[in-house]
Amino acid sequence: MFAQLNSPLQVEAMTQALLEQAIAQSCRALIGKQQQIKLALTCLLANGHLLIEDLPGMGKTTLSHSIAKVLGMQYARIQFTSDLLPADMLGISIFDNQQQQFHFHPGPIFSQLVLADEINRASPKTQSALLEAMEERQVSMDGQTRALPSPFFVIGTQNPLHQAGTYPLPESQLDRFLMRIQLGYPDKEAEKAMLQQPVNGDKLILETVMSCEQFIKAQQEAMQVHASEAVLNYIVRLVTFSRESQQFANPLSPRASKALLSAARGWAFINKRDYVLPEDIQAILPAVAEHRLRSASTDIAAQGSLSKILLEAVDPLVN
Amino acid sequence: MQWSVKFWQRETTKSENLPRPIQAKNPAHLFLAAILIVFTVTLYEQVIAWISLLVVCAVVIRSAIFFAYQKHLPSMRTLNLLAILSTLGLLYSAWSLGFLLGMINLLVLACALKLMQMRSQRDFYQLIVSTLFLLGCGFIFNQSISMTIVYSVLTLMIIVALGFFHAPSLSLGQQTRQLGLLSLQALPIGLLLFLLLPQLPPLWQTPRAKTAESGLAEKITPGDIARLSQSSALAFRATFADGSPNHASRYWRTIVMEDFDGRSWQVHPVRKQQRLLFQSMQQEFNPVLSGPYRDYDIIAEATQQSWLPALDLATPLGAKSQSEIWQSNDFQLISLQPLVSKYQYSVRSFIAAMPYQVLSQFDRELNLSVPKTGNPRTQTWIQDLRTLYPQDTVFTQALLDYFAGQGFSYTLRPSAMFIDPVDTFLFDTRAGFCSHFASALAYSLRLAGIPARLVTGYQGGELSTKVNQADYISVYQYDAHAWVEAWFAETGWRRFDPTALVAPDRINFGLRQAMQEEGSFLADSPFSLARLTNIAVFNQLRLWLADVDYNWSRWVLGFDRQKQQDLFKAIVGKLTPQRLALLGLGIVSIIALLLLLFFLPHWLAGRVSGPQRFYLDALHALSKVGFSRPPWQGPQDFNDTVAQQFSAEIKQPFAQLTALYLHSYYAKTSSAEKETSQTERVTRQMKQHLRKLKRGLRQVKP
Repeated sequence: MFAQLNSPLQVEAMTQALLEQAIAQSCRALIGKQQQIKLALTCLLANGHLLIEDLPGMGKTTLSHSIAKVLGMQYARIQFTSDLLPADMLGISIFDNQQQQFHFHPGPIFSQLVLADEINRASPKTQSALLEAMEERQVSMDGQTRALPSPFFVIGTQNPLHQAGTYPLPESQLDRFLMRIQLGYPDKEAEKAMLQQPVNGDKLILETVMSCEQFIKAQQEAMQVHASEAVLNYIVRLVTFSRESQQFANPLSPRASKALLSAARGWAFINKRDYVLPEDIQAILPAVAEHRLRSASTDIAAQGSLSKILLEAVDPLVN
Repeated sequence: MQWSVKFWQRETTKSENLPRPIQAKNPAHLFLAAILIVFTVTLYEQVIAWISLLVVCAVVIRSAIFFAYQKHLPSMRTLNLLAILSTLGLLYSAWSLGFLLGMINLLVLACALKLMQMRSQRDFYQLIVSTLFLLGCGFIFNQSISMTIVYSVLTLMIIVALGFFHAPSLSLGQQTRQLGLLSLQALPIGLLLFLLLPQLPPLWQTPRAKTAESGLAEKITPGDIARLSQSSALAFRATFADGSPNHASRYWRTIVMEDFDGRSWQVHPVRKQQRLLFQSMQQEFNPVLSGPYRDYDIIAEATQQSWLPALDLATPLGAKSQSEIWQSNDFQLISLQPLVSKYQYSVRSFIAAMPYQVLSQFDRELNLSVPKTGNPRTQTWIQDLRTLYPQDTVFTQALLDYFAGQGFSYTLRPSAMFIDPVDTFLFDTRAGFCSHFASALAYSLRLAGIPARLVTGYQGGELSTKVNQADYISVYQYDAHAWVEAWFAETGWRRFDPTALVAPDRINFGLRQAMQEEGSFLADSPFSLARLTNIAVFNQLRLWLADVDYNWSRWVLGFDRQKQQDLFKAIVGKLTPQRLALLGLGIVSIIALLLLLFFLPHWLAGRVSGPQRFYLDALHALSKVGFSRPPWQGPQDFNDTVAQQFSAEIKQPFAQLTALYLHSYYAKTSSAEKETSQTERVTRQMKQHLRKLKRGLRQVKP
């Protein structure tokens, strides 16, 4: 009995140790951003896509690149521009004169981790092609359905909306991203440490910590994390509050509540716990919920802190 | 460029702390406005004119906003200025009105301003509560059945307004249905409480309103009662359980006047001083009581005075009446509190006891004093008459014969008499009202050395008999009357009514009959129902209304401890203290049971399970020393803050408690058979840690 109970625990502990290493490795590339790296990993553990929203030069690409490297994933980067067409991303069938038939040349989307850089610069047509692929995890072209590799993650980055020449993603598509995180400026010490790094060649060598298979296993284990009834009630109360309070024009959808739970599981797993605490939900809620909510008031200042309003309105302990 | 940082560090914005704004276009506001204006109309006598104007303004503003003629409420600055000005105005104009009216005007003013200002949910609730209170205040002034209906409807409208406030989209029909359901549920409870809860005497005294006194006055100049006789307002009603006296013997003594200055009669100032002195010493006059008596109840209308009408010779009956009524040396009943609202009291009248009363030397002197000058013709006439008839009784008879035989007439329109009024009346005009006759007779008797005084009160009244109901007599203001009392050594005090000699109809049938020829009965109010008695339908309607009003005052307004005990007696038979206690207990427990049935599911739902209870206890203990968990903080985060704040004695047990709580409440529970023993262990451990924590916290406290 005990042996049975123990053995998965040991395996879990091993996976968790691997994840810890992965975080430590990524932190070498992106100094002082442990929180965001953990959130990003949580997002991937919960099998969701990640949206990074920040100004240029804040380390968006570095983050996604280092995660791909550390997790040993096949990585492709698509730079979104306003003239990017769906075919540029998905791939194209070209007629082979010698063999007298069409050959499909897969586009960059056929990778395990796709960095869709500056996603809001592309036209809505291309955006929706990407989002469709994200949702279905397959691509349909010329009457043929081609499965995307597994695991398949998209890390989208975008500039804040008030930059010129962007097509803001509609709410329905923002909803497809499990999380939206912001990197923010590093603090002084982190910035100094970054500057002190030796410039050998031009690249920081990161070790690959775990294989793809190991990561898929980690995903499965993370989703086994126990969420008690109290935690589920807390999620329900949060979601209900967003719907009943008059403060939100766009409240949280059922998809959002599912996202909250799976992200909370991932976060608990990363923090080496086999059950979810209210603190896990509070930690991931800004990343999961902020981009799905929209304030009822037109006050621009109110738009950034909606998840905070939500968190402060609901007591995690009361049933 | 600060944008990205802000996301993690943003402070709460101001907007979320503001009270919830409300929609301007809500029928609830219109309802409240209507309620306020109707209420102000019902108190048109009490509310100062400019405050009523302010109410109208507020209602117009609200309606304009509701119907979208206007979009903006008056600004807060305007309203504050208005409030300050109105307060000063109220101080100035309500200072003379006394406390009660001042407060009611203040409330009306406040409601009007609130109606103009109402912006948030809190404002709305405040207005609702104030209006409810105001409606309660309305009952101080209006207790009639029609007003009760008006106030009940207004109260229901407030509830509808509340309904509209919370569900503006529902139709009026749905709201009314909801209201009807609620009222139906509340009705039995309200009825039960009214009938069966102990009827306590008021714990405080209603501040006296300085409104005009009505009814009989303490000073009359002959002719005054004629003014009163133009009023068809009710004076009082008397209920006789077994048989009522006949019309001619219904002399309702109210005020005795012993001071005459040649023109007017008034209550003697010495008597007033005597009354104050005796009341302060809690002494009462005890007349000699014997002979047959008659018991009855009287419901007197509000007069703002203390005089209580009763038949001769009256003593208060029952503990309540005895404690609230003072009996004076001149056989009046005087209430200790002025009658600000309807007042019910019980009386026992000894019909034949008047002759046995003694006359003190002091009383004799009071009742013989006459002004030295004035009315010379009367003085010489009495001197002559007295020499003719030296015997008291014979002299008195001669006087009465003079009234009966010299062509005197009874009229409601006497000519004015300014100089030597008694002379003018006796020898020139020979036409007057009851007070002229009584005044002239009493003055003449005094001149002849016979103690005499004027008594004012009511004579007659309308008898109403029904099969299933005790007889009652309605006495109206037009039944006001004045007569004379004189004292003779052999027969004691005797009543003389010169009016009876001149106009026997007045005494036997009432004023209406007596004035039929002159046509002056209620001549100033041609549409009064009392005047239209010739038309059968109107008369029936009038009698029916009187019946309803009587029963309302007797059974609803007059429902006191005595009536309640009677009711108990009727229900439980013989009333013993045990039965009464049992009944009270039963009622309270029935109500408690109903409440319990209603609230129990809520309580059960809110109850917490074992480990959580200990943890919540710990939180409570911490909050007692001023360290409470912010309502959004999770248990682990709170544990971290506790660890930073407190020493090891506190933070260690709390950390243990938190860990156990988290483990038992959030972690996966293992298989079922282990669970019970584990829960027990966890409970035991949590108990220990909680004890440790409390010990630690005790040292923290100063």
